[in-house]
Amino acid sequence: MYRKQVRRRRAVLVLLVVASLALLSLYFREGSGGPLHTLQRGVAAVLGPFEEGADRALKPARDFVNWFDETFEARGENERLSEELAETRDELAQAQTTLQQGDELGRLNELTGGGIVPAGTEPVTARVVGRSPSVWYSTVTIDKGTSAGVRVDDAVVAADGLAGRVTATTRGTAQVTLITDPNSSVTGRVQPSGATGVVEPTVGDPEDLLLNFVATNEDIADGEMVVTAGFAGGDLDSVFPPGIPIGEVTDASLEEQQAYQRIHLRAFANLRDMEFVRVLAGSGGGEGGDG
Amino acid sequence: MILTRGIWVRLVALVLFTALAQVTFFSKIELFGSSPDGAVLVVAAVGLLGGSVAGAVCGFSIGLLVDCLLMQTLGAFAAALMAAGYLAGRYRESVGRPKRRVVPLLGGGLTLFAAFAFAAIQIGTGIDADVSTLVVRDALVKTLLGAALAFPVFWLVRLVLRPALIEDAPSGRRPTAPRPLEQRG
Repeated sequence: MYRKQVRRRRAVLVLLVVASLALLSLYFREGSGGPLHTLQRGVAAVLGPFEEGADRALKPARDFVNWFDETFEARGENERLSEELAETRDELAQAQTTLQQGDELGRLNELTGGGIVPAGTEPVTARVVGRSPSVWYSTVTIDKGTSAGVRVDDAVVAADGLAGRVTATTRGTAQVTLITDPNSSVTGRVQPSGATGVVEPTVGDPEDLLLNFVATNEDIADGEMVVTAGFAGGDLDSVFPPGIPIGEVTDASLEEQQAYQRIHLRAFANLRDMEFVRVLAGSGGGEGGDG
Repeated sequence: MILTRGIWVRLVALVLFTALAQVTFFSKIELFGSSPDGAVLVVAAVGLLGGSVAGAVCGFSIGLLVDCLLMQTLGAFAAALMAAGYLAGRYRESVGRPKRRVVPLLGGGLTLFAAFAFAAIQIGTGIDADVSTLVVRDALVKTLLGAALAFPVFWLVRLVLRPALIEDAPSGRRPTAPRPLEQRG
């Protein structure tokens, strides 16, 4: 009897281990349209309304817990000042981008509505309803999907700056991969010098970003702002419109014998605490991945 | 653990509720710069109350749902939680029902184990990452929060599964024979 139970216990364990390994292996091998991804989107779509309901129902309890933390860190004042700073930063970023890109682009911006919202896109405000529980994944789930016009590769901005881009969608939800995710890279431009590079995360440290591949002859100082460059080059268009604030330079020290500069940034957007984001629907030009 | 139809319903509800709570509550609160890992604590409680099979199956199910809800790599969180649930169950089967003062230690220890198991899976699946001080600090704060929350979560899970439990004395006053997992239709 006891041996039978031990055998059954081992069989269940082996089955679960094999299932885990098979899932991990198949998930990486198949494309985003594969059966596991489809099944995953299906489960997410079915549970989406429950997730949204739970998010709303648990908000008071969440706020209560967070209140202690916020009181402990005296963050109330900080948030107000951060909002004011973010508004000023947006205005500054837009002004500097317009100046740098000249009158022609300025007129074009004026023609297409100006600011960071490019022509043909529809800003969609969404609530963050799910968040990855670890620092290894930098993704969030939002409560707007293909039914609201959200598509894969659409740019997503938070209150203070660029948040990331949409990487998967269902009818009612979408997954946003944040700029701190290891799979993320964004072409950025330092203001006001105009130096460009690629913004990538320091994996495992969501408070630190790196601006890579900046020419060594560019003179960049701490505190300067980095915005999206928004390159356009035929099939290689950036998914991010130009001029969205990304972060500020925290360490621009130049190391010797480096082909390129590596500059440390601090993201403007508070990616761990954001409650609402705005999707620039149509900016990415991707396909919907409705499950 | 005596598995009746009613207990199955409770277990399924517990799995669903835990996965939703992990994504919409535990992951979104911030204490001392980190978020508590409620799912690990629930899985540990089920393992400590029901044995290794119950812990592993519950961990796998909750982890798989979280992977689906967050649309992240399928099987990663499931494998980490399954391992944590299995370890908790083995503790129960080899040592016995944990004493009150041991529950926080087990909660913290299994939280730390799950954090490192998850990190190992991430590195094993190709994420090129340094083990930065932030990762280590996050794991340590999660461990402390896990230890602090272990007893209330254990108590709540015990309340939910009480009709299914085979009561025995806390460890130290009982034989070390493995606990059988009985099944009744």
